[in-house]
Amino acid sequence: MTTPAKDLEFDYSKYGFRDEERYVYKSQKGLSPEVVKQISHMKGEPEWMLKRRLKALEIFQKKPLPLQGMWANPSLANLNFDEIYYYIRPDEKKSRSWDDVPESIRQTFEKLGIPEAERKFLAGVGAQYESEVVYHSLREEWEKLGVIFLDTDTGLKEYPELFKEYFGTVVPAADNKFAALNTAVWSGGSFIYVPKGVKVDIPLQAYFRINAENMGQFERTLIIVEEGAEVHYIEGCLPEGELVSLGDEMVPIESVAPGTLALNSDGYLAPVVSARRRSYRGDLVRIVPLSPGNAFELTPEHPVWALRRGRVARPRADRPATQWDIADARFTDAEPEWVPAGELEPGDLICFPVAVRSLDHPEISDDLLRFLGYYLAEGSAFRNGVSNAPTVSISLDSRDSTTIADVRALMTRLAGKPAGVYEVPAKHEARVYVYSAELLEIAQQYCGVGSATKRLHPHLMELPPERQRLLLETYLTGDGSRHTRSNGRTLVRAATVSRTLAFQLQEILARLGIYAGILVRKAGSESMPDGRVVRRCEQYVLHYEDGATVRRVRFDARRNCFWVPVRAVARRPYEGWVYNLEMASAPNAYLARGFAVHNCTAPIYSTNSLHSAVVEIIVKKGAKCRYTTIQNWANNIYNLVTKRAVAYEEATMEWIDGNIGSRLTMKYPSVYLMGRGARGEVLSVAYAGRGQHQDAGAKMIHAAPDTTSRITNKSVSKDGGRTTYRGLAKVQPGATNAKINVVCDALILDEQSASDTIPFIEVEEHDATLAHEATVGKIGEDQLFYLMSRGLSEAEALSMIVLGFMEPFTRELPMEYAVELNRLIHLEMEGSVG
Amino acid sequence: MNNDLVIKNLHVEVDGQEILKGIDLTVEQGKIHAIMGPNGSGKSTLAYTLAGHPRYEVTEGEVWYKGQNVLDLEPDERARLGLFLAFQYPVAVAGVSVANFLRAAINAHRAEEGVDPRKTAIPVAEFRKKLRERLQLLNMDESFARRYLNEGFSGGEKKRLEILQMAMLEPSMAVMDETDSGLDIDALRIVANGINSIKEQRPEMGILLITHYQRLLNYIKPDVVHVLMDGRIVREGGPELALELEEKGYDWIREEVIGHAS
Ligand SMILES: Nc1ncnc2c1ncn2[C@@H]1O[C@H](COP(=O)(O)OP(=O)(O)OP(=O)(O)O)[C@@H](O)[C@H]1O
Ligand SMILES: [Mg+2]
Repeated sequence: MTTPAKDLEFDYSKYGFRDEERYVYKSQKGLSPEVVKQISHMKGEPEWMLKRRLKALEIFQKKPLPLQGMWANPSLANLNFDEIYYYIRPDEKKSRSWDDVPESIRQTFEKLGIPEAERKFLAGVGAQYESEVVYHSLREEWEKLGVIFLDTDTGLKEYPELFKEYFGTVVPAADNKFAALNTAVWSGGSFIYVPKGVKVDIPLQAYFRINAENMGQFERTLIIVEEGAEVHYIEGCLPEGELVSLGDEMVPIESVAPGTLALNSDGYLAPVVSARRRSYRGDLVRIVPLSPGNAFELTPEHPVWALRRGRVARPRADRPATQWDIADARFTDAEPEWVPAGELEPGDLICFPVAVRSLDHPEISDDLLRFLGYYLAEGSAFRNGVSNAPTVSISLDSRDSTTIADVRALMTRLAGKPAGVYEVPAKHEARVYVYSAELLEIAQQYCGVGSATKRLHPHLMELPPERQRLLLETYLTGDGSRHTRSNGRTLVRAATVSRTLAFQLQEILARLGIYAGILVRKAGSESMPDGRVVRRCEQYVLHYEDGATVRRVRFDARRNCFWVPVRAVARRPYEGWVYNLEMASAPNAYLARGFAVHNCTAPIYSTNSLHSAVVEIIVKKGAKCRYTTIQNWANNIYNLVTKRAVAYEEATMEWIDGNIGSRLTMKYPSVYLMGRGARGEVLSVAYAGRGQHQDAGAKMIHAAPDTTSRITNKSVSKDGGRTTYRGLAKVQPGATNAKINVVCDALILDEQSASDTIPFIEVEEHDATLAHEATVGKIGEDQLFYLMSRGLSEAEALSMIVLGFMEPFTRELPMEYAVELNRLIHLEMEGSVG
Repeated sequence: MNNDLVIKNLHVEVDGQEILKGIDLTVEQGKIHAIMGPNGSGKSTLAYTLAGHPRYEVTEGEVWYKGQNVLDLEPDERARLGLFLAFQYPVAVAGVSVANFLRAAINAHRAEEGVDPRKTAIPVAEFRKKLRERLQLLNMDESFARRYLNEGFSGGEKKRLEILQMAMLEPSMAVMDETDSGLDIDALRIVANGINSIKEQRPEMGILLITHYQRLLNYIKPDVVHVLMDGRIVREGGPELALELEEKGYDWIREEVIGHAS
């Protein structure tokens, strides 16, 4: 099945940015001792670190992937370690002030939406661009007190003693395969040291991102909080592009129906391989071609198939941009090119391909085609309110007896019983009607029901153009109006309130060699002479001159397309999702409102990237550390992170962990409660959408008396996403009077999504207090209805419920992160409705 | 423009069972209509159907309001058209504060197609002022606004919150389903006074009050009283009809209706 209506309507073809990759050094793909040595050499590391790395590499290569067992995940088998770049160094030097940060990277930060104000007052920010940190600074007052906040590479250089003492002590390379990998190839990350008794009251922040395809990112973070000191560290992990529905399935997003075939720029139907979506903040360019109804919007970088005006126009300086002549000779020779939308100018020609349809379609008789044309224009099909009789009726001008006779004969033949005529003299209207369940069904099936939703069935779109002409002719008899102009040409206009139908008819006309423009007549109300006010829906007016090719639109027989001039180009600021499609065909390009645009600028990750960080934290006696992460990695990223802290006597360690992005996350932040009275907390939320699996949880090891741990895990799954909570609470011998509290709440938003809970509890002391609570819920119809009955749309109501569910997490975040999280969730919810 | 709510021959099924069996009822703009009827007669069904609850299936009939067939609209569209339902059993939503919710709802009402929602949103100061005023009107503590929607609310608090929402959203047609039940005597007076003063400020607002008790009607004087029984309106009258019901119960009407039928 095809859904041409969708193809034609697809107007969300807006694209992405990706900074030009500028690197001084990009390691070979794949992993070997040579690569590891190279990395260490580039960084000018001490010998002992190189030895550590090489040892870790050995461990990594020996350890099997955890595909089976307690902490295993079978989809790890999809990772190909040979396809990954393990080290990339950008060509910029490390910077210490915002002004030193190179322009391209600053722009990236803007695209990431890090607010201006926030950037200005930030005390400490580190940004990991690819593998290395490019911006790092700490407010002077903290520096004076001896607080260290550096990227880990610099930390190693400047404080080798601290590294010798602590590096790898909390997470040894042998801990797990990914910890070993990180130890072998780590690069970047943050190093924080807070001296005894110093309380850093502003959060230290870092941003990490992955830009290059197949890029691995292996940052290493080490935090040491001395006795009685306090610190809050925040990392934001952001994607270059929001990707959706990767994989070999043909998957839908908002605008693309499941299994959609879309027309490519050659006019052939080709399947959409993947549809991708990401949040975007920036300008959108609106291209208005000669037919304003076909205007489309995209991001400035998005290439459009175009003939530059300068190449084909005969120069006419005295005329406005859209009025010019094409020089025939130049036109024949000119080669079109992919022009970024932002560079298009009025007068450039853009490509409107003629659809080549080639799929099978069932037999459809001439009679039926002609009837459907009338029906599309003036027909209705309904069950009579009183008698419930299936009725098909066509309204015609009562003075047009030829057409009435034609329609009547058609309907009589098709229904197999006589059609009647009912006159409404006051309106000069004659309704030709017949009671026929079969015809009613046929009419509805081929052409839709209400006038605003009328559309042509895919089978009709597949017919050869000569057959489609039959339908078009009767349609225009009904809905069309013809004016013969003084120059002898005939202007044909047809108005419909169905946008889909307008685009479908435009496609059919193109196949018949006619380029028709579409005007949009805005909705509004009109006062009638008798004082009534008539409300009018938005109307699409199809218009063309019969028998004449519009001079400014050229047909290109070689490429089987029309070249249509751009009338205007405008920009507007935009914030929201942008979409991109990848087509299973060469050219990898599709049509935006009928016009050819390429998909190539959006960052395309056809393979998976890996983020495998290690975080080690030491919280000494009476000290306090909070570590907050919000990751929104792209959906092709495997996010396999080992986070562990040791907390000594009366110390407090808190992990606040939000997982929104990535394809697979496996992350179980842990706290080893090593001293009497130590406290550990993990508060996490996970959101899994299409193609995502969030496998997250916590580990709490009670190794001393009077220790307390609390785990709160909230997860939301939607569109086939999956969430897993995996947790371990362990009380070792001697850890008397331990208190453990575990709460896992899962919210599942639809039937395709899933959630599971795998708690492990091992208690080897008798007096431990243990509370474990798990709930799984669905959003109730009643909740949704309650909110909607107050005026909220379904999407708004849904996000409100989901955000409410996540509130215990959100309220722990600094304001700007909470706002960002809310925005992300809101966009996710909006995506699915309507 | 005529802003009556016109219900014509309304038939409604729940889970395949017909509950409303042809309701004809017009709630005139600016008037107060009361519906009374025994338990299970279909009063809440009518209220939910008007608000567009998906579980209630309309099998026949029409509901017209402001020139639109309301039955074609989604619940949120009905709300934005000016219809409001105060629920008999309000729903709790964890983590959503009353204030945030009210602001989102007001903004949804103010939104216009094609206009940046930030432009139409209610200014924060204006919202706070309005909220404070309406809380005072209903004798509610300001801390209510920070609580989560109906979470842990007592029965009476829930009912007050419904009326607070009404006061904030300023509908043009309000349906109140047993707003009086669960209220203590003082609360009943406060809520009724609140409703009356909202009505005073907005005299064009139509009200459909569903209640079991004459008590409420002592405070809020209905223009018309309808009796709903077994899915049909079986009797209509002035305020005196409510008094009569209070005195005699429903049996006499039931007998009369059956008497007519046979
Ligand atoms: N969701 C539902 N599922 C099943 N039956 C329902 C549902 N809603 C209503 N009913 C049935 O429809 C009938 C009418 O119910 P409704 O709640 O409208 O009555 P009511 O007049 O409001 O009663 P009360 O005075 O007790 O509030 C009852 O028999 C009830 O059991
Ligand atoms: Mg009820």
